[in-house]
Amino acid sequence: MIRFDKANVTYKGGVSAMKDLDLEIGDGEFVVIVGLSGAGKSTLIRAINGLVPLTSGGLNVNGHDVPNLNAKGRRELRSEVGMIFQGFNLVDRTTVLNNVLMGRLHQVPLWRTLIGKYPEEDIQIAAKALDRVEILDRAYVRATNLSGGQRQRVGIARALAQEPKIVLADEPVASLDPPTSHVVMKYLQQISRDLGITTIVNLHFLDLATAYADRIIGLRDGELVFDGPGSDADEQTFRDIYGRSLTADDTMAKQAAL
Amino acid sequence: MSESPLRLPPKPKPSPWAIALSIGMVVFTVVCARTVGFSFSGLIEDLGRSNPVAQGLLEISWGEMFSERSRRAFLETLQMAVLGTTAGAAVSLPIALWSTEVGNPYRIPRILLRSFNNVVRAIPDLLWAGLFVLGVGIGALPGLLALFFFSMAVIVKLTADTLDGIDMGPIEAAKASGASHTQMLRTAVVPQILPAYSSYVLYDFELNLRASAVLGLVGAGGIGQRLDFFRNRGDWGKLWGLVLMFFLVVVVVEWLSVRIRRRLV
Ligand SMILES: Nc1ncnc2c1ncn2[C@@H]1O[C@H](COP(=O)(O)OP(=O)(O)O)[C@@H](O)[C@H]1O
Ligand SMILES: [Mg+2]
Repeated sequence: MIRFDKANVTYKGGVSAMKDLDLEIGDGEFVVIVGLSGAGKSTLIRAINGLVPLTSGGLNVNGHDVPNLNAKGRRELRSEVGMIFQGFNLVDRTTVLNNVLMGRLHQVPLWRTLIGKYPEEDIQIAAKALDRVEILDRAYVRATNLSGGQRQRVGIARALAQEPKIVLADEPVASLDPPTSHVVMKYLQQISRDLGITTIVNLHFLDLATAYADRIIGLRDGELVFDGPGSDADEQTFRDIYGRSLTADDTMAKQAAL
Repeated sequence: MSESPLRLPPKPKPSPWAIALSIGMVVFTVVCARTVGFSFSGLIEDLGRSNPVAQGLLEISWGEMFSERSRRAFLETLQMAVLGTTAGAAVSLPIALWSTEVGNPYRIPRILLRSFNNVVRAIPDLLWAGLFVLGVGIGALPGLLALFFFSMAVIVKLTADTLDGIDMGPIEAAKASGASHTQMLRTAVVPQILPAYSSYVLYDFELNLRASAVLGLVGAGGIGQRLDFFRNRGDWGKLWGLVLMFFLVVVVVEWLSVRIRRRLV
């Protein structure tokens, strides 16, 4: 379970990206966070695994008291939380399998990491993760030689290889075309359902959000302005979250038609 | 239908700085030549004079290239270059990592390490060799030590510059997965710089091979010491024989190295 308690994040320079946030996300939920660019979506996601520290307030993630973790505790927390990035963040020069094995590092002794010889059971876990996103046959291909959609599937496999309780995805489809976006979103949804992994996804397309979210959280200027089931969210809801009328850019299908 | 010629925007004038700099460099060169007493007529006169060193070129001793002693000196030079490069390369990777922001979050140690490396690099390899000859005596060991320090300085500098421009995405991913700092460096950073690093090591080997010929002149072993021996005896034919052989070795090694490096990057 994830619980924010009057949590605040103020960046150097004075931007307040999270304001008195009270939020509880239960185990196994599939949550989509929406909001305009700069609303604080990435800040919220990155606070959960301690990449962004809270300025004040409380945050508990699966029993970890995030604001008060030492370096070791933070690594433990992060090992339980997989992360997926807009830019994939793969090591291009190395193989798909090596990229996915990065998700096993918290279990692998340093000397093994240094010589690049992973234990067989970790390789098996990585293989299973690749199989789940149906890209196991590319295991020994260099990451550069993959298409964008395939790269993001490797990104998902890397997160899965951690055997995480939570998966965070920060605009995972923003660099992909619409059909590929749906493929990636379906994998995320399926994984969440099959493995009971709490999944939190930042999206900026409304149609994607309503299509996949069990629960939608709306942010505006660092404040929570909507929290409800995906089925409750209609155009009026999004107009309220965005504080403006909707445009073609807000919908993937319409934007693709432009 | 004829098209009227397009009119370009007014051409920018060369910057006054560029003009001043060009003039300054010409003047500086002339002044320098004057001060060291250089003149073209003197140069031609000197070259025309008969000269025993140049005459040695006509009596190159081909046999010297394969004499037992010269072969051993060659081998020593190669060994010095290989060992100096290998040892220098081995310490360079961690030092380069620790002297950049991605590899070392602590500012002060980072700056100290970079400064130390800059000092090492500021000292030419011949001076290193001279210092080590004083320290540990004549032979291959001071040469090896000189090449080690020289290699370290070169490879660390080039690798550190490469590290400053790498993709930060994988680093963020490694951190987010709970990897330790060293694990992150090994899996997210090293694969990104490995091709460039390997290419720098090969380049450094070329430098070391050439340097090791000169190091012998100050008593630091290898082919240079043998060259110095013939030079002192005035045995120019044998000297040229060795120089020719060395030249061939360097050309072959460079040719290979350049080809490999091209494939790496
Ligand atoms: N590292 C940072 N330093 C300073 N300001 C930041 C930093 N990261 C984000 N911000 C600011 O915080 C606000 C929220 O950013 P972010 O969480 O990235 O929003 P979103 O992901 O919804 O676009 C923005 O105004 C942004 O400029
Ligand atoms: Mg963002």
